[in-house]
Amino acid sequence: MAFCTGCSLLCDDIEVDFEGGKIGRTMNLCRKGRGHYDSLCVDRLAPTVDGSEVGIDDAVSKAAEVLAGAENLLLFGWGNSTLAAQKVGVEMAKKLGCVIDDPSSYSQGLITETILKGELPTCTFDDVRNFADVSIYWGDDPSSSHPRHLSRFSYFPRGEKRQRGYEEDREAIVIDVRKSPTAEIAADGFFKIPPGGDGDFMGALMATLGGKIPKVEDKKKMLNLGTKLRKSKFGVIFTGLGLAHSVKGELDEFVSLVGKLNELTRFSVIPSLGDYNTRGFNQTLFDETGHVDRVSFKDGVNHGPEFGIAKYLDACDAVMVVGSDPAAVLPASLARKLAKIPMVAVNSHRTFTTDAAKVTVPIAVAGLEAGGSALRTDGVKVEFDAVVKSDYLPDVEVIERIMEAV
Amino acid sequence: MVSVMEIYQLLPKTNCKKCGLPTCMAFAVGLLGREKTIEDCTPLVEEPKYEKKLEGLRELLAPILSADATETGMIIHTEKCYGCGNCVVACPVNVANDPKGTAIGRGPVSGKAILIVEDGVVKCVNVDQCRRFGPEKVLCSACIVTCPSKAIEFI
Amino acid sequence: MAGAKEVTVVTYRGIFQEVEEALGMYSDGYRDQSAIVSLDGGDIKELGVEDGQPVILETGSGKVVVAAKLSEDPHPGLAFMPSSPWSAQLVSGEVEESGFLDLKSFMAKVSLSPAKEAVTSIEEIAERIKAP
Repeated sequence: MAFCTGCSLLCDDIEVDFEGGKIGRTMNLCRKGRGHYDSLCVDRLAPTVDGSEVGIDDAVSKAAEVLAGAENLLLFGWGNSTLAAQKVGVEMAKKLGCVIDDPSSYSQGLITETILKGELPTCTFDDVRNFADVSIYWGDDPSSSHPRHLSRFSYFPRGEKRQRGYEEDREAIVIDVRKSPTAEIAADGFFKIPPGGDGDFMGALMATLGGKIPKVEDKKKMLNLGTKLRKSKFGVIFTGLGLAHSVKGELDEFVSLVGKLNELTRFSVIPSLGDYNTRGFNQTLFDETGHVDRVSFKDGVNHGPEFGIAKYLDACDAVMVVGSDPAAVLPASLARKLAKIPMVAVNSHRTFTTDAAKVTVPIAVAGLEAGGSALRTDGVKVEFDAVVKSDYLPDVEVIERIMEAV
Repeated sequence: MVSVMEIYQLLPKTNCKKCGLPTCMAFAVGLLGREKTIEDCTPLVEEPKYEKKLEGLRELLAPILSADATETGMIIHTEKCYGCGNCVVACPVNVANDPKGTAIGRGPVSGKAILIVEDGVVKCVNVDQCRRFGPEKVLCSACIVTCPSKAIEFI
Repeated sequence: MAGAKEVTVVTYRGIFQEVEEALGMYSDGYRDQSAIVSLDGGDIKELGVEDGQPVILETGSGKVVVAAKLSEDPHPGLAFMPSSPWSAQLVSGEVEESGFLDLKSFMAKVSLSPAKEAVTSIEEIAERIKAP
């Protein structure tokens, strides 16, 4: 059995044959996972300095040189890193007294932090499979981003208290601006909202649950939803980027809604996080500092928007990006800023970011070429072994070597 | 199972659009999904320099083209399939035959599952077990309505 | 004005785009899955655009040419675009007071490409990012 680090579900029932270094037949691996496996032989990163290929040792020492010379250093990425590498990364940020951040700062960091603080109730996917009778996908399209979400955990499987299948035993509700592939499956359970309309929807649902008539166009549909939620025994809300971006860093109303639902029945929240180990990084940094992202170790522990990559690019004079591709994701003006800062990029593959880096250091693909552990998006720890031999170094070894050399 | 990449390797890779599709990759997907035929690629069939590729492609696709839709009339449009396994887990036959595997959301463990995910896409095996098979067939649609991309249909 | 329209663009991620990304960002497949914008049937008609034809998307932050796609479902005034280096050209780098960076939706002008410009290539975007 092999593991898949293609998304944060970390599927653990994969069968794979290797045919001369290439991926042969795979079983149980979804299409996205298959792409992840096939990428093993595509666009692999070479160790480079200023665009010229060098040996790995030279790349590591040059990387250390870039980092050591910096006054305001940013360590960014970490969602596609093993727990061990993340731990060393946080250690390094502490040691060097610099800023550490991850893509959570412009995605679901706030939701995850609220969960870790215990202000939003959560549960594991195994609880979902065994007990949940309502799954709400809010600004979240796991069919596209986490393809086996519905089949392994949240809608289709049989579980301890869910023996009769999805038609009788479970409800799927989708709240989204777009009729996504997940919304196609939910059929009548799809609530289409306008962009930025999540707050209004929360208000209307809150009113409905409070026994008032909601101020929405389709009152009957909303009242039906209220009844369904009130009657449910165990509901779960899966959050996605759509919700995170719509509430723009203001989670109070959502927390109140989940609180209200918990007065009536039992409801949990699980975020659908992007990279395979985003949850791991958030937890690792949280354990150390009480925050999931945007932390500066310059004078003790400081946290705030000024330490998020979007703002800190103005202040920083060197960056190390590990297993992430901010140059492809950030708004062009910020990507241009990033590209002008002396950068070390650690990645298994060539990306927009590695192309803009001064120094690139290749690593093994975790779960295939290197073992390690990670936290699934519901917070459950998953450990995996390497399934194929490789000359690439595991990420933790590379980060450790860079840290030692600095 | 033939992959899109294997087919693509045997195409002219000129993206000439003569088949009506924008790229040779798209045509490869069309061939695999049986929405296009080899003959739709006129350069491949007509230009002698592609003779070897044409021969290889015919050989590669022979098993696909001869096997018609499975005997239940099920057609899987693999080019649309996400490999999510919703149909695999929702299929009532899989639930009955494979209670410790597909029924609880995992890969099959019994060898008796009729829908499985192989090479990233769904595949129908043991077709005689499908509820739509045989004289006492039922018009079950569990695998159709659970699909996020309308990749399964029955003809 | 005929041939141009203001729309709210909402970004999303699609599975085939992610597969192509895994298999290499500098590929035609990745461009075909990313450099697209899904438009409402009425809007696409008003613009005089055909399904698959290149259109210009423009904001205060940047401009790209992508292929228009006709949506099955109606969503007038809204457009959906995969989040990618193409959409990143259009997103403002302004950080909100809370420190939040909204990558998910923005207003854009969509118009016909008079010179029938080709879809912006990934190489060009990479150049824009690396340009001094």
